[in-house]
Amino acid sequence: MREFQGIITAKHPVMGDSWLMTFTAPTEVLHAARAGQFVNVLPRERAVYDPLLRRPFSVYGVAPDEGLMTILVRPYGRGGGWIVDRNIGSEIDVMGLLGNRFDIAPRSTHLLMVGGGVGAAPLLMLAREAVARKLSVTYLLGAANAGALLEASEIPGEVEYVVATEDGSAGYHGFVTDLVPDYLQWADQVFACGPGPMFESLRSVVLANRMGKRPSVQVSVERTMACGVGACLGCMVETKRGMKTSCVDGPVFDMDMVQW
Amino acid sequence: MVTVEKQQYMADLTVDLAPSNPRELVLRNPVIPASGCFGYGLEYSPMIDVQRLGAFVCKGITPKVRSGNPMPRITETPSGMLNAIGLQNPGIDGFIRKYPPTWEHWRVPAIVNISAESVEDYAMMARKLDDVAGIAGIEVNISCPNIEAGGFCFGWDARMSETVTQAVRKATTLPVIVKLSPGALDIMEIASAVEGAGADAVSLINTLVGMTIDPRTRRSKIANLTGGLSGPAVKPVAVRMVYQVASVVKIPVVGMGGISGVQDALEFFMAGASAVQVGTAVFSTPSMLTRLIDELGMWLDSNGCTSLNGIVGAANPAFGTRGESTF
Ligand SMILES: Cc1cc2nc3c(=O)[nH]c(=O)nc-3n(C[C@H](O)[C@H](O)[C@H](O)COP(=O)(O)OP(=O)(O)OC[C@H]3O[C@@H](n4cnc5c(N)ncnc54)[C@H](O)[C@@H]3O)c2cc1C
Ligand SMILES: Cc1cc2nc3c(=O)[nH]c(=O)nc-3n(C[C@H](O)[C@H](O)[C@H](O)COP(=O)(O)O)c2cc1C
Ligand code: FES
Repeated sequence: MREFQGIITAKHPVMGDSWLMTFTAPTEVLHAARAGQFVNVLPRERAVYDPLLRRPFSVYGVAPDEGLMTILVRPYGRGGGWIVDRNIGSEIDVMGLLGNRFDIAPRSTHLLMVGGGVGAAPLLMLAREAVARKLSVTYLLGAANAGALLEASEIPGEVEYVVATEDGSAGYHGFVTDLVPDYLQWADQVFACGPGPMFESLRSVVLANRMGKRPSVQVSVERTMACGVGACLGCMVETKRGMKTSCVDGPVFDMDMVQW
Repeated sequence: MVTVEKQQYMADLTVDLAPSNPRELVLRNPVIPASGCFGYGLEYSPMIDVQRLGAFVCKGITPKVRSGNPMPRITETPSGMLNAIGLQNPGIDGFIRKYPPTWEHWRVPAIVNISAESVEDYAMMARKLDDVAGIAGIEVNISCPNIEAGGFCFGWDARMSETVTQAVRKATTLPVIVKLSPGALDIMEIASAVEGAGADAVSLINTLVGMTIDPRTRRSKIANLTGGLSGPAVKPVAVRMVYQVASVVKIPVVGMGGISGVQDALEFFMAGASAVQVGTAVFSTPSMLTRLIDELGMWLDSNGCTSLNGIVGAANPAFGTRGESTF
């Protein structure tokens, strides 16, 4: 875990309004990066104090040999907007790696990933890790329309990529969570990341359709953060084992442990 | 990233925050991370050389375990943030078991921030901390509601601030820093009362009570409704209050509120602070803490000062006069 200045080497537009931002990063950070972890990016110049706080972004991909890290940034507001406006060659102030990781159980062979919007980012990293371990992966991604989906070329070829759109312009017409029941028998584990409402419907679909506690579901939750290292206690998640920080104990939690 | 670097400056940065206390509180430099912004000193250890700091203040400790406020607890505001953490902490007994045994082996002095809702509870905590190894001093957070006084904030009333300080003073020989609340009507009156009651030093400012509303949800962005404002947005208020307090007390003043770099810290020293704390700025740039030590030393060197004393109170003609020359 450290602060570092990266240099932006590439920008690639994706999902309609978002950007894949690639920048240089220290080798030890790149080698240590695992799916689910995130970095905190300063969304401003160092000596200008607005917006004040760093913004968390999941690691989307790493290329240790080239010394590069990629994050997927959706410009929701000022911070995200400032970051995607940086040009190639400019500096980016990054703190990381932060947080825990998705945990693939040793005996799991069939993995279901459920993503909504920019929740695609950590799951893509996970899908790459799983494919490298020769595991079967189905990746369900939901978005408002076809233009807001991740291009299939971003997804490893071995992954079964299934999409849902709210307007029916691509794939299944409806919410991505509607597709989940079909895969619950098949999957050993489910991994999810997306907006709050997606978690709510995922949870009710899983509770209504699975047998006992199988498959287990790991979710990456989103909280406003200040420090990212467990010092401020601003990013808590209420769990059955008490209050946990989403920046150190999370962002990945077992769905059954979270007090929804 | 812990590197042992050669000191980059000549100036003497040492400061004693409890000059009239036999147990003294001598810091190697005047840079201290503020309570609630540095956890228990361990959280930032992978990122900065914590042992280089002048001291650090841990998260506020209370008589009993507290799980804190509901979420959301923090929100960003223009050049600042609001927080309502609700003093989540393991309680005084759990705290004493958990952290001081580690700090005992540290070079950096650890200051414990305490909060309570009655005078007896403040005294009880001070008593328990008195002979715990690994603790260098106590910072008394008086920005808390006094339950016996209908929830009125201790730190807004000179009598109540005095009573708490006296009780803590009696309960411990440790250096006692009383942390003042910027919500007080007359901060100078409170500071004088606390000095008279035996405080070794005062620190200020704590956060200012604020609120922000999300028009979309038509609700406060903080579950607790109000939160404490901190960060660069509060700095001018903090400098003014440090100036006022340093004009009326002789004990050391520890200044804080929005410090993000050496230029900000210099303002506080020149207003009359002998040391500074850094809170919110640690979140975005942890490395700033150790950089601040070096930059301060180098600034003094290049401005012809052999020690920090050369600038403390430089902008404040009433500094250290106990208000003899009027503010
Ligand atoms: C662990 C973690 C991982 C994350 N990973 C990614 C990632 O890979 N890619 C990515 O783009 N974002 C990610 N985020 C979210 C990202 O940090 C936020 O988008 C960012 O904080 C918003 O900052 P902003 O300055 O752009 O918006 P702000 O100016 O802070 O907010 C502007 C407006 O947008 C709304 N808003 C902010 N964030 C969201 C949101 N996520 N959903 C809906 N409305 C929102 C706010 O309520 C506000 O009204 C992650 C968050 C966490 C906690
Ligand atoms: C998240 C957060 C938690 C805090 N917790 C405490 C606390 O437990 N006790 C206390 O006395 N002050 C607490 N403070 C106040 C700070 O110590 C400091 O007085 C204030 O934030 C002003 O300094 P800054 O602008 O540098 O942050 C907290 C501040 C923040 C931002
Ligand atoms: S962001 Fe500070 S504890 Fe998680």
